[in-house]
Amino acid sequence: MNKTKQKRIEKIINASDEWEPVGPTPMPDISTLRGWQMRLLKTYKPFYAPSCDLCCRCTFGKCDLTGNKKGACGIDLSTQQSREFLISCCQGTAAHTAHAIHLLDYLIDKYGEDHKIDLSKEVEIEAPIMRTVMGLKPETIGDLRKGLTYVEGQLCHLVSSTHTGQEGGNLDYEAKAMHAGIMDMLGMEICDIAQISTLNMPTSNEDTALVDIGWRSADITKPVIICIGHAVAPSKEILDYMTANGLYDDIEVGGICCTAIDNTRLSDSARVIGPLSKQLSYIRTGVADLIVTDEQCIRCDVPEEAEKTGTALIATSDKVSYGLEDVTDRGSDEIVDMIVNEKRQVLILDPVKVGEVATRVAQKLAPMRKKEFIEECNVQGMAKACKRCGSCDKVCANLLPVGEAVYAAANDNLELLRGLSRACVGCGKCAQECPEGIPVLNLIQAVASTETFKMRSGRGAAHEIDIRRIGKALGIGSGSEGRLEIGSGAGRLPGVIAFVGCSNLPEADDIADMALEFAERKFLVLLTGCAAMGAAMKRDADGKNIYEKFPAEFGPSGVINIGSCVSNSHIVGVAVKVAQLFAKKPLRGNFEVIADYILHRIPAVGVAWGAYSQKATSIASGANAFGIPVILGPQGAKYRRLLLSDGEEGDYPVRDFRSDKVVEMGGPYPDHLITLVETKERAMVTIAKQCLRNNDTGPLRPLRLFHYIDLHKKYMGSLPDDIHVHVRSVSEIPLVYKREVMEVLEKKGWKPRETVPTPTWIGTYPSKASLS
Amino acid sequence: MKAQAFHTVNILTGTKSGTIIKDVDQCAELIKKAKRPLLVIGGKVLDEKGLTKPLGEYAIDMADAVDMPICATAHSIKGLIEMGWMPESTLDFVEILNFLKKSDWMGVGKEGNHDLVIFMGIRSDLLERGLSTLKHYAPHLKTISLCNEVMPNADYSLPNWTKGKKWNGFLGGLIEALNDQTGQA
Repeated sequence: MNKTKQKRIEKIINASDEWEPVGPTPMPDISTLRGWQMRLLKTYKPFYAPSCDLCCRCTFGKCDLTGNKKGACGIDLSTQQSREFLISCCQGTAAHTAHAIHLLDYLIDKYGEDHKIDLSKEVEIEAPIMRTVMGLKPETIGDLRKGLTYVEGQLCHLVSSTHTGQEGGNLDYEAKAMHAGIMDMLGMEICDIAQISTLNMPTSNEDTALVDIGWRSADITKPVIICIGHAVAPSKEILDYMTANGLYDDIEVGGICCTAIDNTRLSDSARVIGPLSKQLSYIRTGVADLIVTDEQCIRCDVPEEAEKTGTALIATSDKVSYGLEDVTDRGSDEIVDMIVNEKRQVLILDPVKVGEVATRVAQKLAPMRKKEFIEECNVQGMAKACKRCGSCDKVCANLLPVGEAVYAAANDNLELLRGLSRACVGCGKCAQECPEGIPVLNLIQAVASTETFKMRSGRGAAHEIDIRRIGKALGIGSGSEGRLEIGSGAGRLPGVIAFVGCSNLPEADDIADMALEFAERKFLVLLTGCAAMGAAMKRDADGKNIYEKFPAEFGPSGVINIGSCVSNSHIVGVAVKVAQLFAKKPLRGNFEVIADYILHRIPAVGVAWGAYSQKATSIASGANAFGIPVILGPQGAKYRRLLLSDGEEGDYPVRDFRSDKVVEMGGPYPDHLITLVETKERAMVTIAKQCLRNNDTGPLRPLRLFHYIDLHKKYMGSLPDDIHVHVRSVSEIPLVYKREVMEVLEKKGWKPRETVPTPTWIGTYPSKASLS
Repeated sequence: MKAQAFHTVNILTGTKSGTIIKDVDQCAELIKKAKRPLLVIGGKVLDEKGLTKPLGEYAIDMADAVDMPICATAHSIKGLIEMGWMPESTLDFVEILNFLKKSDWMGVGKEGNHDLVIFMGIRSDLLERGLSTLKHYAPHLKTISLCNEVMPNADYSLPNWTKGKKWNGFLGGLIEALNDQTGQA
C-alpha cells in the first residue's frame, strides 16, 4: 500500500488507539480481500441462470450472448451475469448507505456529532462490523460518518468496474459483489446503531413489546397516517409532534415495510399494517387519510393510487420525489392548506416539518372523508363480469390461479379467492390486465382475513451475555484455541437460523411454518424485516403465534425479531462477536480471520425465502463474504446467480489450526454458499443440512445429524441418500436412527474419516492474515 | 409454432427459443433415441390439479417404460415413495442442473452425462431460469419440458395446455407410445 494512503487510513481509524493491534486489512479496497473471496469462489462456484440472453448496455449492442458468446466489447454471458449481479449489489448497498447518510445527517443535526454511541451497558463491542472491516472503534455518532465516507468511496470503485470496457472476468465481478456486500453490512450497522443510540430504540432487550400487526390493526374511526418505506426520521417527527401536542391517542400511525418495524421500536402504539406486499391493497382501500412515503420498497404509482381514493400524499425523500413540487421552504400553514384544500401532493425534505404538517393534515382530512371497506357481500356482484379469459393468470407475479378464483366468486364461492388472499403478493397486475375492468386486487382484499396478530418489536444488537450463552450452546471453543466446551443437555443449540428479506413468498405461511419447526427443535430463530412480519401471521391450535409461543431469548428455542432491514447487520454481528469472545480473535482490520472462523465454526444460516429487491442481493453477498450461507426461495432464481459447491475432489483442503496439517476434507461444509430450493418442505431439510460444519464435535454432530435425518424423514419420507458423506464416525450417528443408518453405511462401504476440530483456510491460500 | 410463455414472467428475452412439441410419437421417438435420458421432477408433481391421476404417477410410468432414472427434486421423493417408487437421485433442482451443465459429469447412473433431460412438475418461473442455464451452458444435452406451460428456453416444450384435458391425453398417449416402442425394440 502506498504510504500516503496508509497514513490516511491510520488517521481515519485512530491507529494509535491501542484497543487492539491493527490487523492486516484495515479499510480494505475492492481488491484487498480478493484472496479470501477467490478462495470462497474456488469451492463455491458461480452458477448462472441468465434472465436475459442479451446485453443492452452500450451502443455497440444489443449483443446476443446466447451460449456464452461474446458481445462486441468482448464480454461473455457469464461475465455479463456477474456484472448484473454486482450492479444489483451496488444498488442494494447504495440504498442502505444513502439511507444511513440521510439519517445520520438528521441525527447529528439533532443530537450533535459528539453524541455517544450507546447500545446499553451490556454491549461492549458496539460495532463489530465496523471494527472488523475498518479497524475503527467508534465512540460518537460523528465517528460513524467516517464509515459512510469510506463506503461511498468503495461504491464509486465498484460501480466504475461495471462500466463498458472495465472488468472482464466473472470471478472478479463475483469477488467485487462480495465486497459490495461487506460495504452493505457496514452501512446497515451504522444506520441501526445510530438510530438506537439516539432515538431510544430497544437495545439488547429481551422483553420488547408485542405490537399489533394486521391490515385492520389501525382504528379507522380516528385519523390514519400510513408511513411506507424504511427511513424512520419522518415517522419519528410525526410521533414526537403528536406527543408534544397531546394527540398521541387521537391519531393512528401505521406502517408498511421496515418503517413499520422501526416505528414500533419508537412507540409500542404504532401499528404494523403489514409487509411491502400489502401496500397497493391497503392504499386502494382508501382508509388512510394520509400516506407518508420515505424510501425503498415503495411502489412507483403511489401518487396515482392515492389520488384515486382521495388519500393525501407527502413524499419525504430526495430519492422518491415523484415529480412533486418541493415545498420544504414554505410555511406549515401554507403546506397544510395546499394539501387539504387544493388537494395537492407534495414533497417535504425536512422531517421536522413533515411531523407537524402530516399530523395537522390527517386531523383536518379525516372528518371530511368517508371510509369503508368493500364488504364480502359485494364481491360476487363485482366478479360477475368475469368471462374466464385467463388474462389475470398470465401476469400473476406469484403464478396463482387468479381467474379460477374470480370466476368461482362470481358463482358465490369465495373460498378460492380467500385462499388466494394468503399467497397474493399484492402487485395488482391482475386488475390492470382484466379486460372487463374487475378490480381483482380489491376483491382479494375484501375477503382477506381481518385478524390482527402480535409481533415482537425489534430488539437490535445482541449483548455479550447473549453471545456467551449461545457460543457455549453451539459447542464453540472457549478460551484457548481448540479447547472445546460443550453446552450441557437442554442448553445445546443445533444452529442459528435467520429468516430475513421481503414478502415475495410462494406461500404466505411458509416462514411461520419454518420458524415454528426450527424453534420447536431448539434452534435459535432470528427474524428481520418483512420476514419477521410474515412469521407473525399464523396461529397454532392454541391461538398463539411464534412470538407468543417462544421466548425472545438468545438460546435454544429463542424467537427474536432483530428489527428492520438495517438490523440484518446485527445477525452477522452476532457471529463476529462469537469469534471474538470465544476464539479470542482480534477484530481490528482482521476480516479474513473472522470470516474464516465463522464459515468453518458457526452453524448460522440465512433464509431469504421471499427476497424481492436488490437489497436482498447485497445483504446475502455480505453474509456470504462473512462466511454465512444463504438459502433463497424459488423466486430467488431471478437473481440469476448462485454459489454452489460440486463436491469435486481437491477443492476443499483445510488446515488444522492446532496441528498445522493441511487435510483434504469430505465436505465442503456448508455445502453451498448461496442456493435456492423450490418448496418449503425441501427448505426444512436444506436448512438443517446447512448447519453442519467441519468442527462439529462431541454431542453436537449427532444432534445436527439427528435434525437433518429427522426432517428428511418427515418431509421427504426417507433417509437422506448422502448420509454416509456426513457421518465421520459411528459415535456421530444419532441413537434413534442408528440401525437404519448403519445399514446404509454398510451398503455404501463407508469407512470412518478423520475430523478436524479446528479447521481453517488461513494458510492454504495467499493472504496476509495471521496464521496464529 | 412460436414458443410463447404462458406466464409473462417467463417471457423470452433472447434470440433462441425451442420448438413446440405436441405429437406424442415425435416426443416418444426423442426419448427412445436418447442414450441416457433423465427425468427431473419437482414439487408440483404432488399437487398438480386437472389430471386424471397424480403427475408423479405419470413420471413413474414414463420412467418404468424406458428404464429411465428419476431425479426427484424438492420434496417430490415423498410422493414417489408413497406411490411405491424409489428415485435414483434426490439432488435438488439447482444441484442437478449444476452437474448436468458439465459435459464430463458421469450422470445419475455413473455411466456418463445424460443426453436428454425431461422436466415435469416444477414451478414455472424456476424451471424457466433452470432451462436458461442448460440452454446456454449445456450444448451437450437436449431438454424437453412436459409441463403444461410453454418453456421457451427448453429445446422442446409442450404448448400452453392449462385446461388439463389435452395435457392429460398427451401424457397418457406418451406412456403408451413409450411402452409400445420399447416392446418393439
